[in-house]
Amino acid sequence: MKPSDRLIETIKKEGIQPAPKWRYTLRNALVWSAFLIDILLGALAFSVILFAIQQTDFNVLSHLSHSRLEFFLGLLPLLWVIFLVGFVFVAIHAIQFSPKGYKLTLARRIGFCALLSILLGTLFFIAGGAQKLEHAFAMNVSIYDSVQEKKTRLWMMPENGYLAGEITAVGPDKINLRDFNNAEWTIRYSDETFVAPVVKLEVGEQVKLIGKMDGAGTFSAEEIRPWGGQGKRWRKG
Amino acid sequence: MLISKEKCKQLGDLEIIHKALEEVDFFSCLFDRYEGKLMRYIKNLAPVSHQEAEDILQDSFISIWKHLNEFDNRLSLSSWIYRIVHNQTISALRKRKSYGKDRTVEIEEATEVVADMEKDTGVNKEELIRKVLDQLPLMYKEVLVLKFLENMRYEDISDILKIPEGTVATRINRAKKAFQMYSADLQLETDEE
Repeated sequence: MKPSDRLIETIKKEGIQPAPKWRYTLRNALVWSAFLIDILLGALAFSVILFAIQQTDFNVLSHLSHSRLEFFLGLLPLLWVIFLVGFVFVAIHAIQFSPKGYKLTLARRIGFCALLSILLGTLFFIAGGAQKLEHAFAMNVSIYDSVQEKKTRLWMMPENGYLAGEITAVGPDKINLRDFNNAEWTIRYSDETFVAPVVKLEVGEQVKLIGKMDGAGTFSAEEIRPWGGQGKRWRKG
Repeated sequence: MLISKEKCKQLGDLEIIHKALEEVDFFSCLFDRYEGKLMRYIKNLAPVSHQEAEDILQDSFISIWKHLNEFDNRLSLSSWIYRIVHNQTISALRKRKSYGKDRTVEIEEATEVVADMEKDTGVNKEELIRKVLDQLPLMYKEVLVLKFLENMRYEDISDILKIPEGTVATRINRAKKAFQMYSADLQLETDEE
């Protein structure tokens, strides 16, 4: 018997059927869905990283001692970096299982996935979604220490020269401030005090101060900066 | 023969697939069309007897039949079939307990088709080629066989082995160097004897 006849006979005898097309269509759909979902989740993680970097205020790092520097760098969202790496890692694997995924080298797959997540994440950040996402995450995940909570803790140490809150009154050489623990402060400032250009020194504005605590409820400001990274408002809770 | 040779000849690969999905007998056309090439490929790739090669080919075509709906026509059918046969051959090799101990290359057949390789590497001794192929790691042997014995393009090799074309090129270069190194070593040993 010819080998081809033997083959057909085996197929007929054993009733072997080709697997249905929908199975492969479904598998491909799952692979691409996994890829897209992971890219989107990676993008969300990246947007929160951008938000945290924005909140970190790298320009005040020079003022900080080593231990404070460590604490300050603790604001960087390690959890979100892990999320980003994890999601991009899964996306890289998902694309490998796509019909032509093997055509791309590992370096290209990493570059492609990372670039997509970074691009979409940046757009989400610019649209203001990152702050809301991070806040929602903090509200719903009790063990999660939000960027804002960490930042508030960092700037609520007047005895160490850091204070933040909302301006309640403005005078020619002093301002009244209500800190985030609702304590009232009188802040002295002079022409030598650095006031960030975006700070308007008006009632209701949230600011952070670097300076020296003079006594109970009084603080001399050396620098006045906006509470938000770009001078945007944020209200606790 | 269930479908006549003449009828098979009139059909393209994709037509055969479509017809086979309606009437299994047409699948024999595909088998007959690729049988010769694939038997040679299996024998070039693995140290198997003619009977073992036939069994591997039968198993491969059963697998092709089972996955017929998976075939993506953006890929060449030939590459897809080679990929399945390649995997089946490697799988059969791995199943062998004594893999590596009883490796023999069918040198008469190989010699005919390695002429290109000989030109490329400067090797011209049958025994030497047999020994060198015998010693090369599989990842090098498979690209050399596909490139020089099967005359495949980089794109086809990439589709068969499911690796990027750049990797194919790198492997071929390394394989050629390894081939030259092994052949030089063996030549030296032969001269010393």
